[in-house]
Amino acid sequence: MNLEELAFLALAVVALVTGVGALLVRELVHTILWIAVFFVDLAAIYFLLAAPFLGVLQLGVYAGAVTVLLLFGIMVTRKRIFSRDAATGIGAVPLALAVVTFIFVVSMVGEFPQGTPTVYSIDPTTLSEGLFGAFGPWLLLLGLIMLGAVAGAIYLVREGRE
Amino acid sequence: MTALPLVGFLALSGGLLAVGLFGILTRRNFILLLIAIEIAMNAAILNFVYFGAFSSRPSVTLMGQSIAVVVIGFAATEVAVGLAIVLALNRVRRSINVAEANELRE
Repeated sequence: MNLEELAFLALAVVALVTGVGALLVRELVHTILWIAVFFVDLAAIYFLLAAPFLGVLQLGVYAGAVTVLLLFGIMVTRKRIFSRDAATGIGAVPLALAVVTFIFVVSMVGEFPQGTPTVYSIDPTTLSEGLFGAFGPWLLLLGLIMLGAVAGAIYLVREGRE
Repeated sequence: MTALPLVGFLALSGGLLAVGLFGILTRRNFILLLIAIEIAMNAAILNFVYFGAFSSRPSVTLMGQSIAVVVIGFAATEVAVGLAIVLALNRVRRSINVAEANELRE
């Protein structure tokens, strides 16, 4: 087992633990701390996969913007931000369904090539040429949807509407 | 050139999808629900990136990373709209418990 595999194993364990931890801790603010670690951990996995642009994007968008946005949401909806959440039970049926999903996905592993394939990388120039070339319409669509989302969000939270 | 096990990545994204699904089904707090959706969505993005990275053809790697960029943008948009709904719900109901939001049920 080489160094990259060890690093990936550690990162994967941290991702699963922080993902479960984020959903199971009692205080909502602690959830945000767990999920921040989760996003940074995924960014590290992207760096390991030779995709540095995506790693930086993950750090900026998820670990930066989404985390702060969620923290802001907690801040404005609670009188005391450390107050506890009432409903944090573990249902038997959802747990079983999640376990079945996991087993189903892992059972598909046999249909994919085994072993340790090499990780290929592309340089940022190629990525940006592809993004603004062949994937240009998708980026345009993303921009239009974001514009619509901003308009919708402003409409939802504006004052004087009951 | 690094070499990584494909099976480990599949197990990781399957596990993250299961965690997200579990959260979506059990949590009643709107913000926790959004976080669970983000976890499941990150599992999907991870899939795009590493199936692209394990292909020797640059066009496939490029496609995987491009789709990942677009999906990250969509996910960020979804969180913004979700938090706007949280604020609106909090104003109307004084609570962000999704089990209590039943205005449209009648």
